[in-house]
Amino acid sequence: METLHFEFRAGRQFIQRRVQVGVVASGNLEVLLEPEVSPVSRVRVRTSVDGYRDEWMAILRTFFGRHDVAAAIEINDGGASPPIVLLRLEQALEESRK
Amino acid sequence: MKTDSFAEKTARDRARSLLDAGTFRELLDPFARLESPHLPVQEIVPQSDDGVVIARGKLGDKNALVLSLEGGFQGGSVGEVNGAKIAGALELALRDAREGKRIFPVLILDTGGIRLQEANLGLLAISEIHSAMVALREFVPVIGVIAGRVGCFGGMAIAAALSTFLIGSEVGRLGLNGPEVIEQEAGTNEFDAHDRVLIWQTLGCRRRLAMGQIDLLVDDSVDAIKECIATQINLGVTKKQRGTVARTRAIAAQTQKIQDHATADLEPGDAKTSSSGRGRRWYNALMENADEHAEGKSLLVGDAQWGTETIRAISVVPNPLARFPRARQGQMGVEEGWGIARAVWDAIDSDNAAGKTERAIVAIVDVPGQAFGLHEEQLGIHLSLAAAADAHIAARESGHPVVALIVGKAISGAFLAHGLQASEILALDDNGVEVHVMSEASVSRVTRRSLGEVVALARIAPSTARDVHSFAALGGVSRLLKVNDADEPSAQSVEEVRSEILQAIRRARADAKSPRARLESPAGRASRTISLEVRRILESQWSMEL
Repeated sequence: METLHFEFRAGRQFIQRRVQVGVVASGNLEVLLEPEVSPVSRVRVRTSVDGYRDEWMAILRTFFGRHDVAAAIEINDGGASPPIVLLRLEQALEESRK
Repeated sequence: MKTDSFAEKTARDRARSLLDAGTFRELLDPFARLESPHLPVQEIVPQSDDGVVIARGKLGDKNALVLSLEGGFQGGSVGEVNGAKIAGALELALRDAREGKRIFPVLILDTGGIRLQEANLGLLAISEIHSAMVALREFVPVIGVIAGRVGCFGGMAIAAALSTFLIGSEVGRLGLNGPEVIEQEAGTNEFDAHDRVLIWQTLGCRRRLAMGQIDLLVDDSVDAIKECIATQINLGVTKKQRGTVARTRAIAAQTQKIQDHATADLEPGDAKTSSSGRGRRWYNALMENADEHAEGKSLLVGDAQWGTETIRAISVVPNPLARFPRARQGQMGVEEGWGIARAVWDAIDSDNAAGKTERAIVAIVDVPGQAFGLHEEQLGIHLSLAAAADAHIAARESGHPVVALIVGKAISGAFLAHGLQASEILALDDNGVEVHVMSEASVSRVTRRSLGEVVALARIAPSTARDVHSFAALGGVSRLLKVNDADEPSAQSVEEVRSEILQAIRRARADAKSPRARLESPAGRASRTISLEVRRILESQWSMEL
């Protein structure tokens, strides 16, 4: 297991409500998305697969590149592939807008 | 129209789908952040809800409590936190029921049983779940649903058997021991864990219905499952102590199935014995001049008079001639579980009929484990173990002091059936006394760790240790008893142990404690802090208006 921390400049849109999506199963992950009021969006990743810091950075850059949001994110990962991670992040954001 | 599959949903969506729209309210939700503290130290990623969803809401016009295990996370296994969430919620529902507020519990059982990484903590939590379920059954139907991809195994299969009404779907499976564990413990000749047809023919809910071990088989559809649950809630059948509804399904019908079942003599006269023989030695030492009610030779049952107390002692012992080969070395098998149930019920019923003081039940525990075998699973060994646990609970609740004395091994399902439901657990302070949930070889296989890693784990996760001192440190044992030699006790040691049992009996007469009380012991309070924290927060969130 490896724990990773990332920070991004917070965007302009606030998260409406906190949400949880997904399950920490093999090849799957759980995302907890919450409003962030500070100017920094923080992400904590706990993953069962060690040594993929750069890949996580790339996925999160893609996500924050697409969405101009201020968010606190926790990810508990059971070894999901990058597309699945991105899908869960998008799903969490969509749920938070419902 | 495509049916809405229940099995394909997550635990949270399953709970949500069963409750009426807009009424779902989750207690201890993911943002309560009560995850397992035991997994990260073992390099395992935890989940924010620890793999269970506790939700209140409406089902029709009734208040429901849905407890939904997430099979995707660690095989739906029960550890300290999710175990405390389930037990704590059932305890609160029981408290309300006693005050006349009926809340209808529904357990969505998608679980492999005890979480091996939290071993004895899971074992203790499951004993609390069993106790609360049985107490709650007197007020409301406790409904179990087995409709997930994992199925329902281990200590939670015993819980399933304790439910008032058990619903299974075509994708559900139910058994005490999973195929991999049976194969590991007894070999591929006993059970080939790769033989999918065999697995479904043995464990599948369709088969369980045919054997009378579940009550209803439904399609894998949200609507079908919700309708069945609503029907049962509206019927509102409860299981009273002496009601017309069979407590653990029908004892007579199930034992007849055992008698009719052809069992191959797979390994006659296996000389290797995995029991220490202490169960017999201590039974004989404590019960000299006992009036024997032998329930077959693998179960010693007898009555004795100790001063003013009448004692019924029960001990499971090796029996090379036992009908089921897998239960010949002292294991808890189908006959032993039903035998214990009969012996305990006989004591309850005869004291009641004669208007006598309720005699004490003394469970002498030296059981190397449950029997791992194909025939055992076919006949529903989980049901027989549930019958034993249920009988001990019934005895405790009807005024019989129930005391357990661990003299050798106290393991997993066997211990849940015989020992853990006692008001007090005494144990010999001896290296030969072990309390754990699975052999190291099986733990190694199921958790995909080397044997060396499994052995080393006990140092960072004390709940996975096997010695009795570690179990006592969790509050599992009320007294550790020093003896001169646990294998060959002197007359003085036997006398001292007898005196300790009598004192425990007196304490139990004054205050019959349920397994939950172990959590309140000084050792329990010190080591199971998160179990207490879960209950404290659960209680604070419990009563908000729906």
